[in-house]
Parts: sequence; structure tokens; C-alpha cells
Amino acid sequence: MVTISSLVLSTFLGLFWALLRTSHIKVLSRISATFVNTIRGIPILVQLFYIYFVLPEIGIQLTAFQAGTIGLGIAYSAYMSEVFRAGIEAIDVGQIEAAQSIGMTRRLIMTRVVLPQAFRIALPPYGNNLIMLLKDSSQTSAITVAELSLESKLIAASSFKNMTVFTLGAIGYLVMSLPLIFLVARLEKRFERA
Amino acid sequence: MISIRNLHKAFGTNEVLKGISLEVTQGEVLCIIGPSGSGKSTILRCINGLESYDKGETRVDGHLVNRETKDIIWIRTHISMVFQRFNLFPHRTVLENVIEGPVYVKKEDRAQAIRRGKELLERVGLANKADVYPHKLSGGQMQRVAIARALAMQPMAILFDEPTSALDPELVGEVLNVMRKLAEQGMTMLVVTHEMGFAREVADRVVFLDEGVIVED
Repeated sequence: MVTISSLVLSTFLGLFWALLRTSHIKVLSRISATFVNTIRGIPILVQLFYIYFVLPEIGIQLTAFQAGTIGLGIAYSAYMSEVFRAGIEAIDVGQIEAAQSIGMTRRLIMTRVVLPQAFRIALPPYGNNLIMLLKDSSQTSAITVAELSLESKLIAASSFKNMTVFTLGAIGYLVMSLPLIFLVARLEKRFERA
Repeated sequence: MISIRNLHKAFGTNEVLKGISLEVTQGEVLCIIGPSGSGKSTILRCINGLESYDKGETRVDGHLVNRETKDIIWIRTHISMVFQRFNLFPHRTVLENVIEGPVYVKKEDRAQAIRRGKELLERVGLANKADVYPHKLSGGQMQRVAIARALAMQPMAILFDEPTSALDPELVGEVLNVMRKLAEQGMTMLVVTHEMGFAREVADRVVFLDEGVIVED
């Protein structure tokens, strides 16, 4: 659950940072670069602690799930942003000039020419991030989000069946991530054919 | 129709255009020839605002070309360009490439744009390639699609930036043939080229450019 909600958040936010970064307005691009580098430089666990334990001190009270979503979402938006940026920057200038030469506005160029091509380029690293996000969702157990790792730990502690429970937990992650891996590979193939 | 007066352009300290003046009238085919780096392509790119210029002015049908104003969209929808490296949109089919401008820029009815797009592909001899993606085409075919895409905007004039320079020699002919037909039909064309034969045969006027100035008209 926390994976899906933070995936949605990080994708949109990541795209937003990437668009700021590649815009020709220097201030915006610098703000985006600073944010992305700061977030990438701080461990996710520390960010989660910060959101869950420090924010309440200034009056922002969040549930564990909300804090987990926001924490993972923001952390991954930085990685997603880099993936999108690489995709956008890989587009040949000739593409943009061709679009300009038929009278497209900046907005049309982005939505009709640059982004559709950038997404294709970004898909493999995006898929990679998606799988890492799924696994990093286990870190939210540290702020008591009831996800697979935390649940396994609790069950193991009460039943003393460490081997069985944690093996099942590991299999649980695999069962979720393998289909994702295959899905991304299939999407890549489909784009290749086009 | 296209009027260039005393055009200057420098890239850093490298002065590429040193005072170019040129008039292109309706229906005229003007070829610009000259050695590499003489600024031929830069002239074309200044006409539709892909490049800014430092001094002088260029006008299209009275509209001043200025990248910073909204007028630039008007100019670009009325002047098409064909590039040396084709620059087709690889994520769209041949037909989609052709109707992209009419449908999304000029907001034409899609069905009508498709009908006209197919006619244009017929005209450049690629009617059977409408649903193919560009990477399946040869260079000559890609350039003909690019010409159809330029025509789809129903432009007043087309700028050709070395349209055959990136082609294998045996594919040059098919592109020149399409251009020759266009010229016969009265299209206004500004062609930067190394094809002397084409220039001599098709052009109404040939200008020779060297080191940023027109040395022969």
C-alpha cells in the first residue's frame, strides 16, 4: 500500500522536478537541483524519522502511513527526477527544431514531442527505481507502518518461528517485485516495436 | 515575400553573416550555394527564428521575425522547413508525422487532415508507407516524408536546409525529383544545397555565399 501511494507521489513530483530542472529559467533549475541533491544525499531512514518524529514538534501531526508515503514519495521523487531528466536531455535538438518549425509552442513541444520520447528512454531506469521503492518500503517499518517487514518481525517475535516467518517475508517481496520486473520488461519490448 | 536586409549574425567571436540582403518573391526558387561554414544554413534558420540575429532584419510577408514575440508562431506556420537530418518524429507513424502540424498547431479537423495527409504522401510517392514508423524507411523516403510534413502546413514557402547532404548518392535523385515537381507547381522555395546540377536546372536564381557575404547573384 505504502509502495503504491509513494510511487504515485514520487512519479508526479519527480516529473515536476525534472521539468523545472530542464526549464530555461535559471532560478527554477537551481532550486530543483538543490532539492534533488539534498534529498539524494540523506538516507531514506533519516528522512522518515525526520517527518514522523520532528514535524510533530512544529505542529504537523502525521499518521505513520502518511509519513511513510510522504517520506518515500519525496525521497524517490529525487531519483525519479534524475531518470526523467536524463530522458528529456537525451532528445535530439533536431526534434525540438522540427517541432518549432511547424509552429509548436513550448507546451506542445513538451507534450507531443519531448515527453513521449523521454518516457521511453526513461522506462528501464524507472522500472528499476520502482523495484527499489518496493523494497525500500520495508524501511517505513522503522516508523511503525504496518508493512511486510514489520508484520513478519512481530509474528516471528511472538511465535519464535524465525526461519519460517522471515523466509515467507522474503518470498512475499519476491512475489511482488518479480511481476513488476516482468511487466517493465514487457513494456520495454512493446515500445521497441513501435 | 521573404525580405532580408543587412543581416548580421555571430556565434561568439565568429562572425557568420556579415550583412546579407536578399529578396524572395512569390513562386521563386532561390538556391544558395557556397562552401561549408559560409553561413548558408544560418540564413534559413534566421528566417523562421530557429536562430536569433544580431543586426539587420528579416521579414516574412511584412512580419518582422523575432523569436521573442508571438508573431514567430505565425511565421513558422506559414514557412515550413526541411532539415538535412530529416528530424521526423520517431515515435509517430509516417502519416502521424504529416498531420501533426495541421491537427495540433492549426487545429484542423483530424479526418480532413488525414485525407490531405494521404494525398500528400501520394504526391511524394509514399502512399503505401502511411502506417509505417520512420526507422523502417530509407533516408530518401524519410526526406520525402519530411517534405510532405512541410507541405501539410500549406506554407507560403519552404526552406530546404541541405536536403540531400545526408543521403546515400543513389537516394538523392528521388528527393530532388519531388523538389523539382514542387518548383514546377509554383511553390516558393529557398534551397541551401551543394547540388549544382539541381541549382542550375531548377532555380530561378542562384546566389553564391562566401565568408558571410553574397559574392555573386
